[in-house]
Amino acid sequence: MSVVLRLPSKLGIGLVWAYRLTLGALFPTTCKYHPSCSEYAVQALRKHGLVRGSLLAGWRLIRCNPWSHGGFDPVR
Amino acid sequence: MILYTVPIISQLETVMKHVLNWFHYNAGFTWAWSIVAVTVVVRMLLVPLTIKQIHSMQSLQQHAPQMKEIQKKYKHDKQKQNEELMKFYRENKINPAASCLPMLLQLPVFVALYYTLKNYNFPPGSDLSWLHFIHDISAGTTAQWGGYVLLVVYVVSQMASTLFMAATTDKTQRILFMLMPLVFVFIIARFPAGLVLYWVTTNLWTVGQGLITRRLVQKAPAPTVEKRSSRTPPKDDGSSGNGAQPETPAPQPAPSTSQRPRQVRRKKKRTSRR
Repeated sequence: MSVVLRLPSKLGIGLVWAYRLTLGALFPTTCKYHPSCSEYAVQALRKHGLVRGSLLAGWRLIRCNPWSHGGFDPVR
Repeated sequence: MILYTVPIISQLETVMKHVLNWFHYNAGFTWAWSIVAVTVVVRMLLVPLTIKQIHSMQSLQQHAPQMKEIQKKYKHDKQKQNEELMKFYRENKINPAASCLPMLLQLPVFVALYYTLKNYNFPPGSDLSWLHFIHDISAGTTAQWGGYVLLVVYVVSQMASTLFMAATTDKTQRILFMLMPLVFVFIIARFPAGLVLYWVTTNLWTVGQGLITRRLVQKAPAPTVEKRSSRTPPKDDGSSGNGAQPETPAPQPAPSTSQRPRQVRRKKKRTSRR
């Protein structure tokens, strides 16, 4: 049952990895946060599931702009 | 190909077609130069972000010695080193140059261009060449001899742009980033030549921007270190002078604040003697 419930978030994590291996690999910029945005997304999806995890990851991406200060920012 | 089923991508493609059409038919560019123009426009829109980047580079330069200390301290623990560096950034309100959002803003343009070049039926007889060595921007890069030249330019420009863009000061990571284009080149070789053209243009823009930024950063030196060195010796002299006042009556350097009370005393003494 729990495996079935976790499927959506696994799908999300798969998408993040697909991005990492294709488009993400083509843009060699480093993130100003630690963990990096994509790592944060994976952790958030694992911890909070697809819906909340995606929202958290999206919010992190918006925060990762030139005006923010970056820094250590783990998934809570 | 799977991505094409996502509705946003087909919309992005239509927008890109319109933009390319506008540059070709209204502005009079060839198709290849239209791609260059699109790239330049996108990068121009991102210039405000670059100005922010210049400021962040300046502050990074000022804090470089402290950051090197942190790196030395956590030499063997990369994870901890990263965390401590990030904390240092936050404490000192340093804004690292790199961030994900500007990069992500370029992604839709790239994807749109990819699908446009794949699917767009350019009007028959239209000029798809670029600078006489690329014959067809919609054809595969390696399908034409000029494509190989373009790939070499891509690798060089990509390496140069990572030199300016990579935010890490970690040497091994930097070397890794520098070598990455040599791997990407095999992926990119399958792409339409026009896409590589986009890539080369955006890289060259980054390099140019980096050169200007570097010049601006160098013009603004970090004066704090010099000021401290000139200020500290008088303070030391003053404190030691106060402690050793009875032994040494008149030390040769004459700093301002610590000397004043002495002068007053002397005056008083002189008046009393007279």
